[in-house]
Amino acid sequence: MESNLAERRNVSAKNLIGYLFCSPYLIFTLVLWLYPFLWGIVISFKKWNLISPRQSWVWLKNYLDVLKDPMLWVMVRNSIYFMVVFTTLTTITSLGLALLIKQVPKKYTGFFVTGFLLSYVSSGVAYSMVFNLLFAGDGLVNNLLKTIGLKVGWFTNPKIAMASIAMIVCWKFTGYYGLFFLAGLNNIDPTLYEAAVIDGANAWQRFKKITVPLLNPTFIMIIVFATITSFNLFTEPYMITNGGPMNATRTMMLEIYHRVFALLQAGYGSALAIVSAIITFGFVWTFRKLFERDDLYDV
Amino acid sequence: MMYRLKKYKMPLVYLVLIAGLFLSIFPYFWMVLSSFKVSGEIYTRLWPTKLTLSNYAFILKGGTGQERNFAGSIVNSLIISLIPTMSVVFFGMLTAYALRRIKIWGYQFYENLIVYQMLFPGVLFLIPLFLMMRDWGMINKFSGMIMRYLIDPWAIFIYVQFFKTIPESLLEAARIDGASEFKIITRIMLPLSKTTTAIVVLFTFMARWSEFLWPLIVNKDYGKMPLSVLLALFTKGEYQTYPGVQMAGATLLTLPIVILFLAFRKYFEEGISFTGLKG
Repeated sequence: MESNLAERRNVSAKNLIGYLFCSPYLIFTLVLWLYPFLWGIVISFKKWNLISPRQSWVWLKNYLDVLKDPMLWVMVRNSIYFMVVFTTLTTITSLGLALLIKQVPKKYTGFFVTGFLLSYVSSGVAYSMVFNLLFAGDGLVNNLLKTIGLKVGWFTNPKIAMASIAMIVCWKFTGYYGLFFLAGLNNIDPTLYEAAVIDGANAWQRFKKITVPLLNPTFIMIIVFATITSFNLFTEPYMITNGGPMNATRTMMLEIYHRVFALLQAGYGSALAIVSAIITFGFVWTFRKLFERDDLYDV
Repeated sequence: MMYRLKKYKMPLVYLVLIAGLFLSIFPYFWMVLSSFKVSGEIYTRLWPTKLTLSNYAFILKGGTGQERNFAGSIVNSLIISLIPTMSVVFFGMLTAYALRRIKIWGYQFYENLIVYQMLFPGVLFLIPLFLMMRDWGMINKFSGMIMRYLIDPWAIFIYVQFFKTIPESLLEAARIDGASEFKIITRIMLPLSKTTTAIVVLFTFMARWSEFLWPLIVNKDYGKMPLSVLLALFTKGEYQTYPGVQMAGATLLTLPIVILFLAFRKYFEEGISFTGLKG
């Protein structure tokens, strides 16, 4: 009995210290996470210009305005366009990179991995500025293309401006996702390939039946990331296109920034933020339902 | 291993890899090279006929005392990057230790909460957080730019993952020797989690140094602007026609994180397998 009591006292003393250690995090979560989250929802039901003390309840009006605005569908379309181009490009480049690095002897892999990761650490403002000049109308890329008689309005042609942005974001992330693919490849049991070779499978069949299904978690990760990025894209379009040409690169984040901090429509902006989060969740959920598999090894 | 290509194909592998590496590094190379060019040669020729330091001179002292104090903005960037980085590491360890090693009452609930916090899109918090900073009088102040980044659920999550792997016997031995829980963190956990800490430092510093939207919103005071914001505003404004100056600024913005990354790269590759994704 006595030792039991002592133990219990020990547990509550530990709990006390533990909660003391945790308290900054708990306060942070209440004040800077839960509270703003709830307040954001409240504001979305109000009409408010950020300044005046008058905040009148308009309930669902902001949401109806958001859904009725044709710009919403333009932005959703832009985001889907970005998602498709970015996911395709990045899957090709980073999976290709991982497959190639896997062939290289171990002592050189570090060199290539580090080299390809350099683009990942670049800052959004800096690389947007660099690509803006490189792909300008009379920039280096178009000067090269001129020799074969081409001129591309990378960021000025509304049809391809979003694809150009997807391309530069792909430049940034190729090495990063390549590293995840490489980790995925290293996790695949080599005996699977040996067995497949004995069964007479050629390289393409091995790739399709073993490599691709077993890399499923990495594919899902890229798709989820592309979805979240596509709706939150801000720095690149802000720096390079300002949402233009003809709204072709306008994203939810740019619109929220514009509505709230230029037009002072706090309620509308909050409703748009919530709609954008719901759409993002919807896409992520759908993609995971469609593509994710948890039976990796019982093929 | 079965999956290797035949030997005669290896030169092709290296060729493609080197070409890819060239594409991946070329924008950096071009940026640095252009920052030393005279403006007339940036668009017209790849190799400059002469090199100049005037772009850097322009950016570093051209506007001193006026509203474009770039040297000062580098200090500002350091302030709003280093303080959150240290704080995120400190509270990340402290919280993760309480959850995973002390296993406080309800720790499983908190660990799940942390995962939810990581998944919640930041766009939901932008407007209310801005309003809070305004009501607390933190607009145009460093505190407003720093406050929301002092604790990062992601860092707590990473430390929790790592603390799972440390044997309890190690901690028991220290407790028998009379070490307090806090001492265990600083004397045992901190030295053991070098790789984890390096990754948390690298990612947090990178994210804060490159941060753009938040300091753009909560600070309009040119004297307190971090380099990223000041550079962006002047690039879109009066420096539009000075590509050389732009590239000098972009180089200054890129250099610190590249150096940090190169210094930490061995931890990066070690740690990426268990830390998972950080957008």
